[in-house]
Amino acid sequence: MIEVRDLTKTYTSGQGELTVLKQLNFRVKSGEFVAIIGKSGSGKSTLLYQMSLLDCPTGGAIMIDGLETCRMSEEDRVRYRLAEFGFVFQEYALIPSLTALENVMAPILMRSVSFVHAQSRARESLTRVGLADRAENLPSQLSGGQQQRVSIARAIANRPKILYADEPTANLDTATSKTVLEIFKDLHKKGQTIIMVTHEMEYAKMAQRIITLSDGMIVDDSQKKKRV
Amino acid sequence: MKKYISSIMTSVRVGFFLALRDIKRANIWTTTLIIFVMTLTFLNLIVIRGILVGLTQGSVAAYRDRYTGTVFLRPLDQKQFIEDSHLPVGILNNIAVVQAVSQRYTGAGTIEADYRKVVVRDEEKDKASAVVVGIDPEAEEKVTGLSTKLIAGSYLQRSMKDSVLVGSSLLSTYSAAQGVGTSTLKNANIGSVIRLTVNNSVREVTIVGVVKAKVQTIDSRVFMLDSDLRPMLGRDDFNVNEIAVKTRSSDDDLVVKSVLLGNGVDALATVETWAEAQPQFIRDISATFSLLGDVIGSIGLAVASITIFIVIFVNAITRRKFIGILKGIGIEGLAIEFSYMFQSLFYAASGSAAGLAIVYGLIVPYFSGNPIDFPFSDGIFVADIGSVSVRVVILMIATIIAGFVPARLVVKQRTLDAILGR
Repeated sequence: MIEVRDLTKTYTSGQGELTVLKQLNFRVKSGEFVAIIGKSGSGKSTLLYQMSLLDCPTGGAIMIDGLETCRMSEEDRVRYRLAEFGFVFQEYALIPSLTALENVMAPILMRSVSFVHAQSRARESLTRVGLADRAENLPSQLSGGQQQRVSIARAIANRPKILYADEPTANLDTATSKTVLEIFKDLHKKGQTIIMVTHEMEYAKMAQRIITLSDGMIVDDSQKKKRV
Repeated sequence: MKKYISSIMTSVRVGFFLALRDIKRANIWTTTLIIFVMTLTFLNLIVIRGILVGLTQGSVAAYRDRYTGTVFLRPLDQKQFIEDSHLPVGILNNIAVVQAVSQRYTGAGTIEADYRKVVVRDEEKDKASAVVVGIDPEAEEKVTGLSTKLIAGSYLQRSMKDSVLVGSSLLSTYSAAQGVGTSTLKNANIGSVIRLTVNNSVREVTIVGVVKAKVQTIDSRVFMLDSDLRPMLGRDDFNVNEIAVKTRSSDDDLVVKSVLLGNGVDALATVETWAEAQPQFIRDISATFSLLGDVIGSIGLAVASITIFIVIFVNAITRRKFIGILKGIGIEGLAIEFSYMFQSLFYAASGSAAGLAIVYGLIVPYFSGNPIDFPFSDGIFVADIGSVSVRVVILMIATIIAGFVPARLVVKQRTLDAILGR
């Protein structure tokens, strides 16, 4: 489903060039739950940004269902993300002027769904993450864990093919982190493809497959079965 | 094409969704301040021009209401008077929309006070030049309401032979300053007997009233009964020099003119609507003031646009990260741009609505009841719906553009850079 081919990302600054990703190659099958792990600066978030089309690689290609995504225009990439991806950001990234329900509704409305239908689907998503009773709250009235669950509800509201999560538990305590990961596990059980970046091995172990990055290169790519 | 339109409609809908909530949950004081600035801008756009145009409109209205009427007939070029005056008057009396017709005899003359006094050597006579007008007081009253413009004395009656009304510009007592090339009587007031000379014919007349109409043509005239002036002019044929017509509405001017022209009156007189009869200098001043109003309004519009630009730019810059997130979750740039355009529109519409309430609820009624007392007119406030609507639309368009540009600048930045604050 997703094929990463010779993926390279180089940043150019006044001090010269810095290659963050070095010719990565791997595939992710539909329905897989993949954790990308590595130390800070290993390139794991950069990899996620390339795969989720938030950034363009310097070299190589990312094929999704046979489509070469790197050649898309910025506008096409926005449309593609809306149609195919969900994204859970590290710092929740909710819009402060929208309630929990409205945050979840926004991407649904963008898919030309009627207001009433979008509202019902957003409530459904919030129910899935256990926040139906907080639908009318603004982000400022929610705890960090609740905000992250709203972020997940928003990410899954359009029933995406792939759910990307960038350190979704980074700002959460252990108990809340486990609640969030339980939601991911539950989604995975229902067939959701998930690609999650984390620096915590404990959380990465909940994934079906772990890709370990170090200095922009894949140093390990192990399936759960093998690990067991 | 259908898909493209549908995509735009979706962006409009999402933009509205985002804008509505942004406005609803914005700081009330910030919103109030922006709307207040927009209201002031709107007033700047409408009021300054309204007063400037009102000054000249007051003159235009005064010239029409107090001198020409809605239709004005004067002698053809090279002619001294309107030949066969009874013909156009007969036609006018049969036009339904004509309410009154005033026929005037005019002649150049002089008036002299203290004319019995022995003039010492080098002493100037108390004498002034004037246009002397012979009127039917009742007809003139119906057309111009001349009696309402008296500032002293009483109006002419048919029985008042050898009596005159004198324009305030001809009397020092009532004239603030003597204009270049004009002279005034120094020792004349109500009840004074003055010597009137027209066409070498001399008559002693008594001043019974003083007229001040804020129309120089009127204020520099001497009015007397037509029956008194006609013999002095030797006008035995009853042909007059001016015919002023009052119609039911000032909009009937073209109808009356076309009837007159259709009956061949243009062979006897020059027929003008009240607008055509306006002196060139009033037209020039009107055009100049209107232009001046537009220039000042344009500056106001630029200020409004810059205000909105700054407000939206600051808003968009401080929310750059959220704009990036919106794009990150698949909200199209166009929807975000529409969101900011709707917000701008809201500020402009609210400011305009408050401005309209002030203009039509306070300013217009106030100026209607209390015209500004300018020396040359009663300054009214002009805020006709047509021109105000045009300015409201211009303000809306300007603010929408001013909202769109900064939003576009931020939306066009790379999504990831916006999210990460790079």
